[in-house]
Amino acid sequence: MVADTGPSKNAFAEQRAGDDRARLSASLIAVGKGDRAAFEDVYKRTSAKLFGICLRIFSDRQEAEDVLQDAYITIWNRAVTFDPARASPITWLAIVTRNRAIDRLRARGKAVIVPVDEAYDVADQGPSAEMQLIAGADARALHACIGTLDVRDSAFIRSAFLQGATYGDLAAQEALPLGTVKSRIRRALIKLRACMSGDGE
Amino acid sequence: MTDLSRNEADVALAGEYVLGLLDPAEAAVAQARIASDPAFAAEIAAWSERMMPVIAANAVPPPAGVWQKIVRGIGPNNGQDNPRSGVRFWQGLSLASTAAALVMGVMLFSQMNAVADPIATPRPLIAALSSDTGTASMTAAYDAATGTLTVTPVSLETGKLYPELWVIPAGGNATSLGMVNAKQPAQHSVPAPLRALMANGATLAITPEPAGGAPGGKATGPVLASGTINAI
Repeated sequence: MVADTGPSKNAFAEQRAGDDRARLSASLIAVGKGDRAAFEDVYKRTSAKLFGICLRIFSDRQEAEDVLQDAYITIWNRAVTFDPARASPITWLAIVTRNRAIDRLRARGKAVIVPVDEAYDVADQGPSAEMQLIAGADARALHACIGTLDVRDSAFIRSAFLQGATYGDLAAQEALPLGTVKSRIRRALIKLRACMSGDGE
Repeated sequence: MTDLSRNEADVALAGEYVLGLLDPAEAAVAQARIASDPAFAAEIAAWSERMMPVIAANAVPPPAGVWQKIVRGIGPNNGQDNPRSGVRFWQGLSLASTAAALVMGVMLFSQMNAVADPIATPRPLIAALSSDTGTASMTAAYDAATGTLTVTPVSLETGKLYPELWVIPAGGNATSLGMVNAKQPAQHSVPAPLRALMANGATLAITPEPAGGAPGGKATGPVLASGTINAI
């Protein structure tokens, strides 16, 4: 039995998350070899998480379903490129889903920059406890570090990742030259990375 | 303000790549580095993990019908223990689903032709070209009997330049097949001396070049999209 204390519970949960990750990795590798049963297993384990991401990007439920379908077909076709040494399986799946969703948003000209006050809401919502566990220390670090950036820069970084906003969108919104916004965001990315590596100012 | 150090520039570039802020040519260059530069590849992976909390969302089970559509979308079942024969050529092509759908369309079309025309003809050759970020760029179908290459663009951005199509035999040099239309499907007649190059396993690639084609027949732009030729 696991003692009913905070740290032990966490250790138990982390152990379980590690086992889940290993099983999901194995299934995803099998999908790369054309194993349909493994593909169904990956779908059963991850479709609710990925559908949550689709619903976050597309508020329209039908569009979210279409992009989920699109994402899993891409996953089937590209699973052979999954490298467990390089990415966790859930991150790989989430990135494929996010990229398919953003391609769709951009094709429809829907990319937008989340206004600064809404960006605060996004930060406040935060991830569920489950996703926090999956993302590990990075989740806590990201939310802390993104808070150290200029609020316009952090809003833009979120919008780029979540809504497909481009440098051109930011330049137009702030009526600044493209080169100015590019160098500002590059500096923000370097600062964010330094903060998360623990070697920031 | 001082210039970014080389390492900082790479950190920023990897972040821009993961956030999707690079234009297609810049993204192609970054993607090429992922294969050859482990430190840069690790930086890309770190950015991917780092950005996860931004898209983290509470789980919502999708409706049951979605799985059935996905199963239809990945094509016919080849049998449980059958290695992925019909699907094998997808592997390594980094196919996005749009290209997959187009290729499926071409495959079905070819199969219908085969039924309609019982005379044995060489098997059609097909390639799905995608960018290294996995964005489907175009599909190409080659009919060896007539030397006709049908090029169907999906998503191809070459800015002020124009897309030039190259064939690269395994271990050989790139030979131009000419300029292609980035906006609509078109048929090209492959010149007779080049038809031998259109073989299973050769690579097709697109580079951005000036109007009229790369000077001296040598590609000057980065590879925007590539894919392997396969027999259906």
